[in-house]
Amino acid sequence: MAGQKIHSAKKKRFITNSVVHIVLAVLAVIWVFPVIWVVLTSFRAEQGSYVSTFLPQSYTLDNYIRLFTDTSILNFPQMFFNTLFIAIFSCILSTFYVLSASYCLSRLRFKMRKPYMNMAMILGLFPGFMSMVAVYFILKALGLSEGNLIKLALILVYSGGAALGFQIAKGFFDTIPFAVDEAAILDGCTRWQIFTKITLPLSKPIVVYTTLTAFMGPWVDFIFAKVICRANSDQYTIAIGLWRMLEKEYIDSWYTCFAAGAVLISIPIAALFLYMQRYYVDGLSGAVKG
Amino acid sequence: MRRRAVALMLAALMTAGLAVTGLTGCGSDADGVEKVRLMVWSPTADQSKDNGEWLQTCCEAFADQHPEWDIDFVYGIMDEASASSQVGQDPDASADVFLYSNDGIAWLTDSKAAAKFGGKYREEIEATNSPEILQSLMLGDDLYGVPYTTNTWYMFYDKSVFSEEDVKNLDTMLEKGVVSFPFTNSWYLPAFYVGNGCTLFGDGTDESAGVDFTGDKAYEVTDYLIDLESNPNFRIDQDGSGIAGLRDGSINAMFTGSWDANAIKEILGDNMGVTSLPSFTLNGEEVQMKAYAGSKAVGVNSHSKYMEQAVALAVYLGSAEVQRLHYELLNVIPCNTELLADPAISADDLVIAQNDTFNYTSILQPFVTQMNNCWTPVENLGKGIRNGSVTHDNAQQQTDAMNEAMNSDGIS
Amino acid sequence: MGVFKKRVNEFPTPYTCMNAIRKGGIETKLSMILMGFGNIVHGQLIKGLIYMALEVVYVVFMVMTGAHCLAMLPSLGSVEQQEYWDEATQVYMYTKGDQSVLILLYGVATILITVLMVLAWRGTLRSAYKAECLAKERRHINSFAEDLKTLLHENLQKLLMTPPMVLISLFTILPLIFMICMAFTNYSKIDDHLMLFDWVGLDNFAALFDSSSILGSTFWSVLAWTLVWAFFATFTNYIFGMIVSLLINRKGTRGKAFWRFCFVLSCAMPMFVSLLIMRTMLQPEGAVNVLLRNLGLIAADASLPFFTDPTWARVTVIIINIWVGVPYTLLQLTGVLQNIPEDLYEAARVDGANAVQIFFKITLPYMLYVTTPYLITTFTGNVNNFNVIYLLSGGDPVTDLGATAGKTDLLVTWLYKLTIDKQYYNIGAVIGILTFIILAIGALITYHNSRSYKEEGGF
Repeated sequence: MAGQKIHSAKKKRFITNSVVHIVLAVLAVIWVFPVIWVVLTSFRAEQGSYVSTFLPQSYTLDNYIRLFTDTSILNFPQMFFNTLFIAIFSCILSTFYVLSASYCLSRLRFKMRKPYMNMAMILGLFPGFMSMVAVYFILKALGLSEGNLIKLALILVYSGGAALGFQIAKGFFDTIPFAVDEAAILDGCTRWQIFTKITLPLSKPIVVYTTLTAFMGPWVDFIFAKVICRANSDQYTIAIGLWRMLEKEYIDSWYTCFAAGAVLISIPIAALFLYMQRYYVDGLSGAVKG
Repeated sequence: MRRRAVALMLAALMTAGLAVTGLTGCGSDADGVEKVRLMVWSPTADQSKDNGEWLQTCCEAFADQHPEWDIDFVYGIMDEASASSQVGQDPDASADVFLYSNDGIAWLTDSKAAAKFGGKYREEIEATNSPEILQSLMLGDDLYGVPYTTNTWYMFYDKSVFSEEDVKNLDTMLEKGVVSFPFTNSWYLPAFYVGNGCTLFGDGTDESAGVDFTGDKAYEVTDYLIDLESNPNFRIDQDGSGIAGLRDGSINAMFTGSWDANAIKEILGDNMGVTSLPSFTLNGEEVQMKAYAGSKAVGVNSHSKYMEQAVALAVYLGSAEVQRLHYELLNVIPCNTELLADPAISADDLVIAQNDTFNYTSILQPFVTQMNNCWTPVENLGKGIRNGSVTHDNAQQQTDAMNEAMNSDGIS
Repeated sequence: MGVFKKRVNEFPTPYTCMNAIRKGGIETKLSMILMGFGNIVHGQLIKGLIYMALEVVYVVFMVMTGAHCLAMLPSLGSVEQQEYWDEATQVYMYTKGDQSVLILLYGVATILITVLMVLAWRGTLRSAYKAECLAKERRHINSFAEDLKTLLHENLQKLLMTPPMVLISLFTILPLIFMICMAFTNYSKIDDHLMLFDWVGLDNFAALFDSSSILGSTFWSVLAWTLVWAFFATFTNYIFGMIVSLLINRKGTRGKAFWRFCFVLSCAMPMFVSLLIMRTMLQPEGAVNVLLRNLGLIAADASLPFFTDPTWARVTVIIINIWVGVPYTLLQLTGVLQNIPEDLYEAARVDGANAVQIFFKITLPYMLYVTTPYLITTFTGNVNNFNVIYLLSGGDPVTDLGATAGKTDLLVTWLYKLTIDKQYYNIGAVIGILTFIILAIGALITYHNSRSYKEEGGF
């Protein structure tokens, strides 16, 4: 009798698992489909931006080769490295700012704490691009609007507002009990040591998320980068380059290369995520309780 | 404590910035040669090695012609369409000489960023350019640029489907083959209205006259457009479907400009025909379609520190030998009257089509400030016809709504 | 309402500024004029010298440029660009005129610097008074090295929060104040006010609230749609993201990393690429309609009005936004979900609850509690979600030919069209401010009344 019960419980679990897996598979297909379409377009041999058939009819590698060899109109390799440089540094800075701000707000009690939280919420209510003109002139007054300093300007601007997005990280830190901190203080650690040696290692999923979104920012922003870079084409980021491929003089011959460029951008981001996957450990709460 | 450091840093940087600007400036060498630095903006194609580095070659030639100036050129990439707004936004940090398309003149003049041409330079410009093209760069009596090409659109067609007689009338063409037109693009659609007598700002410069896209002349056109859109041989050209249609043979004629000429030549080869705009039959009468035409010109920044050299360079970049080089290297249709008299150039189909369009089947696109309000309403009318919300029943009403919108600035 | 309760000072200290002025000794009172004096007298040499240097820098700055910037602020410049004809070189020469934009910006920056300076001055005064009191009580006064050490422990927030605050003030707060000031001027393409403009007070606000004007009537309808959109966008992404995350995280699922990767892949592709492609695909002649026609699901010349019918367009935009947003929600919520204590689930399972009941009675309340600030922020973020609407529908369709906004335009995309396309900067600023006021009131009230703000750390 007991054997039968276990058998049917197992069967029930099997059915539930299969159903879940099927649902996940369907959802995954829906989510990945546009990406696959872009990848297919990047290999498409027919020129032009309009397609009368849903799938390409012939395939070629030319689009990728052209991105790297035909630098007369758009210097893709240079833009790629510009953006990589900016992304890496702004990612490091942003992550540091967000985590330190969240830690301070979660763990420490100081007079400006609640006003800061209110202010951060309020500042998010204003549309970002209204300040573009002002930021350009501020950067000009600081001398950061010419030549290679433009990269520095972009790094500062992209990481500047990071500390306003502390809510998720703070919520996460709040779930780590105070007892851990108190024990460490009794052992003689400074709060800085608690931050670096205890809290950060426990926060891997949040670090993953913050790093990933901070890294992605410079690759996709085209409005702001265009305002800052203006005519300095050697400082252009990839987003500006891709956007220019869609202008009416270029779109017909560069559309498939546009798709190829988009695929190339997605690769570092996807790679970063794969690398950080291993920090998503299940049953994380076990470490905290111990 | 760190917040005070900020004020310190900001103050220090501001002081440093002021000091640097104070210390720069021009100076002359001991032997009387003036040191000059000119920043020049142009689209990428004009500067790339693959296309013969047109801009660099011409600038160096200019420097050779003027040994009394020691010119240091700095090049920047800026396409003609956005040049005016970028220069207008921050003239101090912009080029001394730049290539721009004339519809952006309002950006430049509103920000007082464009320098006028006068005296002997103006005479030189006027001697080698037609009055119409100069009109496109003048506000009142002031000339703001040196033209180097016309900027308009016309018709490309498949010679094996349409004969030269056919392409004179749009409705004849529709009986013989498939025609594609950028219906929802407000740079193209007004051609029908303007052809039938609707006016924009009087002769194009009188802002107080407003836009007149109303009355029977406009209602008739709206009705015609509704019928045109439902014609089985008519296709709307959107997102590149025109050129794709030419590629797979489903479309036999499309409307575009010189930027697509190379691609179309590749597709149609010897069968590529290009001509100025056809007329269309409205209530039994033939009405000529009229495109918006403009020009592209070389402008000078009013904040330039080396005004004399910048003006001289601009005039040089609009001269005959430079335009010829531009035509040979990049297929940019010249507008210099001396060049157009040259039989080799004037035999080119593309040159004929573009200049014919400019001279006979177009109106100068107005570039007064209020022209800005005229794009969206026309685009919306086109989209409305396409998705069926504009029909014969409400054509009059919708046309009036469009006219009102074109005349309003969206605020009051 | 909790918001208006009298604020209780949670950090009482005797070393306040008022006390310093009233009860301080001579050296503290002198510190009011000469910053750092009190500190030097009581042995904090380096600290005092730094304060003094700061004062010197500020005075120099004000004398050199600051005073001039402030003086220009009321008039915002009036000198126009002058032109004269130089016969010798045959060119027109131009003198530089005033540029009101720069004058406004520098004026506001100077005011901000002055405000920071006043705060700094109060800080030094407090520090001087503290040093004096400690000296009187014969207690230990920190040397500079010891002060630095406290930065790592008690005053860690000063070390960690300052760099972000600097950047925020410079790139967020300063432009914001600048934009607010713009709303009270006539900086706009209308009447040629791009170079030189003036203060006009509340005129722009009057134009906006006048519902007989085009602007006024557009504003209210756009606002209504914006709020509806933000609500649906936030909650569909939240619930959906949570469900997907739970599906992936549960014990029986294999290949967790693979599933997560599939979803995140779609946000690895830059938004403007995927959205532009989707926009092209959903056009009347786009790939989706062509496919449907080929499959025979719709008539040969019909097309589904994804972006041409107002209601279809609004629904399409919300659905595509789910595609865009779920990967992000997945990433954000997974960490929090994983931290839900296992014993809560164990207890529920022992009591015989099934998956759906566990979701509604344990997971959802816990998540709502922890992530209420996040939800509010996401809601406001969606109100200002420029990318999705602008790239996907461009505000289409526009059924009212006279309006400047389309049926799917949010306040922020409408603002963009007004400022960037039409250069009506002042109107754009007014709309920005009004959006902000409406949202701020709602957000602050909800936030202050939510449990998670009142009882922090007490789940």
